[in-house]
Amino acid sequence: MSRILVFVATDGGRIRRASLEVLSQAREQARDLGLAVDAVVLSDDPDSHVDAIAAYGPDRILTVQHGAFAQHRNQPVLAALAHVIKETGPRVVLMASTEAAKDVLGALAVRSGAAAIPDVASFEIKGDSVSALRPVMAAKQLARTTSDASTVLVSVRSGSYEAVPESGETSVEPIAFSYDDSDPAMVLREILTAGGDAVDLNEARVVVAAGRGVKDQEGKALVEELAGLFGGAIGASRAVVELGLFPATTQIGQTGKVVSPELYFAVGISGAIQHVAGMSNSRVIVAINKDADAPIFQYATYGLVGDLYKILPPLIAGLKAAKAG
Amino acid sequence: MEERFDCIIVGGGIAGLSAAMLLARAGKRFLLIERGEFCGSKNVSGGVLWGTDLERLVPGYWEMEGGFDRFVNHRRLSFMDPGSCFSVDFKSDHFDQPPYQGVTVLRARFDQWLAEQVEAVIEAGPMAEESFLATNVLVEELLQEDGRVVGIRAGEEEFYANTVILAEGVNNLLTRQIGLEAEYVPADHVAVGVKEVISFDRKVLEDRFQLRGRSGLTNEFVGACSEGVDGGGFLYTNESSVSIGLVLGMADLRDKGLAPYDVLNTFKAHPAVADMLQGGEVVEYSAHVVSTGDIRGMPSEIYADGVMVAGEAAHLLLNAGKAIQGMDFAMRSGMLAAETAIAANDAGDFSAARLKDYRTALDASYVMQDMRSFQDAVHLLHSPAMHEKVPNVICDFGRQFFTVRNEPTPKAAKMMRTAIKRHASYWELVKLGAKAARAL
Amino acid sequence: MRFCVCIKQVPDISTAVQTGRMVLNAYDASAVEEALVLKEAHGGTVDLLLVGPETARETIRKALAMGADSATHIVRPDVGDLDSSAVAEILAEHLADHSFDVIATGKQSQDTDSGLAGSMLAERLGLPYASNAVGLAVEGDALVVTRQGDSGQEILELQTPCMVTCSNDMNDPRIPSLKGIMAAKRKSVEQVEISTGTPQTRVEGLEPVPAREPGQLFEGEAGELAALVVDRLVNESGVEL
Ligand SMILES: Cc1cc2nc3c(=O)[nH]c(=O)nc-3n(C[C@H](O)[C@H](O)[C@H](O)COP(=O)(O)OP(=O)(O)OC[C@H]3O[C@@H](n4cnc5c(N)ncnc54)[C@H](O)[C@@H]3O)c2cc1C
Ligand SMILES: Cc1cc2nc3c(=O)[nH]c(=O)nc-3n(C[C@H](O)[C@H](O)[C@H](O)COP(=O)(O)OP(=O)(O)OC[C@H]3O[C@@H](n4cnc5c(N)ncnc54)[C@H](O)[C@@H]3O)c2cc1C
Ligand SMILES: Nc1ncnc2c1ncn2[C@@H]1O[C@H](COP(=O)(O)O)[C@@H](O)[C@H]1O
Repeated sequence: MSRILVFVATDGGRIRRASLEVLSQAREQARDLGLAVDAVVLSDDPDSHVDAIAAYGPDRILTVQHGAFAQHRNQPVLAALAHVIKETGPRVVLMASTEAAKDVLGALAVRSGAAAIPDVASFEIKGDSVSALRPVMAAKQLARTTSDASTVLVSVRSGSYEAVPESGETSVEPIAFSYDDSDPAMVLREILTAGGDAVDLNEARVVVAAGRGVKDQEGKALVEELAGLFGGAIGASRAVVELGLFPATTQIGQTGKVVSPELYFAVGISGAIQHVAGMSNSRVIVAINKDADAPIFQYATYGLVGDLYKILPPLIAGLKAAKAG
Repeated sequence: MEERFDCIIVGGGIAGLSAAMLLARAGKRFLLIERGEFCGSKNVSGGVLWGTDLERLVPGYWEMEGGFDRFVNHRRLSFMDPGSCFSVDFKSDHFDQPPYQGVTVLRARFDQWLAEQVEAVIEAGPMAEESFLATNVLVEELLQEDGRVVGIRAGEEEFYANTVILAEGVNNLLTRQIGLEAEYVPADHVAVGVKEVISFDRKVLEDRFQLRGRSGLTNEFVGACSEGVDGGGFLYTNESSVSIGLVLGMADLRDKGLAPYDVLNTFKAHPAVADMLQGGEVVEYSAHVVSTGDIRGMPSEIYADGVMVAGEAAHLLLNAGKAIQGMDFAMRSGMLAAETAIAANDAGDFSAARLKDYRTALDASYVMQDMRSFQDAVHLLHSPAMHEKVPNVICDFGRQFFTVRNEPTPKAAKMMRTAIKRHASYWELVKLGAKAARAL
Repeated sequence: MRFCVCIKQVPDISTAVQTGRMVLNAYDASAVEEALVLKEAHGGTVDLLLVGPETARETIRKALAMGADSATHIVRPDVGDLDSSAVAEILAEHLADHSFDVIATGKQSQDTDSGLAGSMLAERLGLPYASNAVGLAVEGDALVVTRQGDSGQEILELQTPCMVTCSNDMNDPRIPSLKGIMAAKRKSVEQVEISTGTPQTRVEGLEPVPAREPGQLFEGEAGELAALVVDRLVNESGVEL
């Protein structure tokens, strides 16, 4: 039977929801096409993830265990995925478009003799091709991209599909993998984490994003308070990351992350296309900007023209009251 | 390191690029400096380049890729009151043959294309590695020695040249720096041009405006389009968009406390205009200062030792109601300045006395002749009667004339008298008519 | 160190009216900038490599004007039909018999946002690589890369020769000076013919992104605005607060 292989990315001992979204969609399309779905997880302790993956109903969970996976490095991931692809011969390999996936996708395609369609908003597995829609031109257009290659790798933007649990028969198969981790050509020296218990941007239901209009700690505190109300994540524009007020991991946009929460607050963000590219799929957008002509208002469900320093305090108070009553 | 050029041109608009083309053709060593990221990036213009000089500059331009949007074979002048629009409409296949009499252009595209044409001539000539079109560089100062202009400074960099052509546009800081123009230009010598580009599906545009191939329509507006501010409106068809805008007197705008953008929105909401714009999408908005065409706004002189001023930097522009002529004036003056620079170079004389030839040539050309002979028209256009009474009378007459009731209909002459009585006095109109006849 | 920076010409999407203007990919501009900074600090050379039509020469000149030493232009009028894998194949074929310490690309093309060519090239050349770099440093024979990962920054040490893909968050590319622009015209651009390169994917068409529902714009006093939007969020938006 032909197979679909889904790479389930883990991060800090957690499975990324985006991977489960992809797994759900894989199962959906596999059912119609009569394909089997394999989920592969690379980890120093893969067994700890098996239950969480099984809840989304792949036919098989392939576990690859190695100490090298404790932190992301492209060479071991590349070696392992190429090995699994070689062993199981999938038609399509799917993965969520995380930074880790982006890091290996191109090289993996070359190593596996496969085609790659990166960062898609939707995909469709057909008789003997894979077709996808991918945002291009800073997400101004969608390019319908197709490949007839015998193996096609596809990475999927987070939030493109729903993660829907499904129970079913799932077998777990460890894959033997040996890897010499002593290669001196590339050494991971250090990891600087953004710190804090920040909510994952890609998974947050509410994102409060700050732009250059947020000028100081006071503004930052307001943004944090607003996000805190919802248990939401904090995002930022490139301009305000550059100023050092927010960490680079919070950057949303063409260079940064793509998010599609239920509710997105754009606070003091002008709405340059490169920023909008990362957030225009949010369901409800509230924009606060003192410039009535700011492009962000073209995308806003609710646009508030005014000073964020004046609007945020009563907004926070109002939302608190609304939540309480 | 000292680099000496035959000529340095400041500004990569139409005046600067036209000068550059002639210098390139003459095989001179020159440097053109444009502060925008590319030629055309900073340029706002409603967009009809009138006349046939473009053919002299780029022979056979109409057969090339890029460049202009449409040639003009259909012209319309409309008088508006708040609810009506009375138009004089002229279409002729006389205008269908190249070299065309006018082409619509989007400057971001056109200037870039013109720059490419210049670049191609440079590449093919003896100065392929010695002449430059440099963009994204701001000229901050003119270098002077003993009262002569000898070069430019951009940031830390200084470059020297035998002559400098200032083609910096209406915001002519360098022209002022060397004292050819007063530091402050009075508000009544400048207007504000506002413009939107509204994009359409090409087929929709062509059907709506009856365009065939690359033919195009220009429409000027007088009257209710400007909310009583002195000025007028325009609409030009581009390849798959229209440029629509207003040129409004700065002083009058200020006195009436109106914002140009709001006036533009009122203009666009006029029923006659709204119908034309239906279904289009605004893709660009821009505003820019523009000369009124008042000859008194010109610099005290347009040449001095080592320097010449061309295009709108010299306030060369005519707006007498039927067309705005700034780009063609820029083109011709740029060419004449370049010719003078070339001759000066060959003679090795860069004194004011020598560069006066530029002034002489410009005076003899249609540019200064038209600017002089149509000054009255410029003033007339900016008189209050022209943007209120006259259009009101015309529209009132139109409304009577085109109304058919099942009642006895008065003769046209009577209608005219009624219309005049309602909006003005005979005497006023007779005076105005006489003025107009003399002015035009 | 000897740097080779792969640069691509892309359509300019920053202007509202599409002028058809082509520019240097912003991510590649950052790669050029960083290579120049490292060259200025540690010595070496910066060469450029571009696959594109004859008209892409202008983009090469822009990057040369920034200060790169020389450029190779693989002339391919059909570059629009090539996907990242075909481009990587062509770049690899050329680079197979040229030696560099560091090959740099942008992390992605601004127009397609593919982000594949860099790591594809590294794999073809068998080089260690790091992607999405936001900082580079040279330490002896090693290139130290700070890359932006999913939840933080990773600092990697790569032995040269190696490959790196650069984010535009790394720096602000310099604007060429007049002298740079002049010098660029005199720098050598070698033209090379390579006819291989098989795309593995094809673009069958472009579609507009579905428009968002038009929203509501509120102006007024801050307290009123806050109250208004709270009301809309609670009663209209369907968002569970
Ligand atoms: C290739 C490329 C990739 C890029 N990738 C990204 C990306 O991933 N993410 C990203 O964000 N950008 C990206 N950019 C940059 C993008 O083009 C913009 O420069 C950036 O998004 C601007 O950020 P901003 O809106 O915060 O700042 P600005 O554009 O400066 O806007 C600040 C806004 O705040 C408003 N404001 C100021 N004070 C107040 C106040 N007191 N109250 C209310 N409003 C106020 C102002 O009116 C203004 O609209 C990229 C650019 C390029 C070329
Ligand atoms: C709304 C509007 C509509 C118009 N419609 C028409 C029309 O239909 N027909 C017509 O013929 N004319 C029209 N005009 C007028 C026309 O646009 C100008 O007269 C014409 O552009 C003048 O050309 P120029 O080359 O002299 O100056 P510009 O086109 O203004 O070019 C000057 C250039 O110099 C550059 N520059 C300035 N200072 C420096 C510096 N210090 N260093 C480096 N570079 C510098 C600028 O960036 C600019 O690119 C219109 C104008 C406006 C505002
Ligand atoms: N035609 C090209 N010529 C040279 N380099 C290219 C070309 N196309 C892509 N690249 C390089 O590959 C990077 C990533 O490309 P992409 O996979 O298209 O996103 C770019 O930032 C460039 O550095």
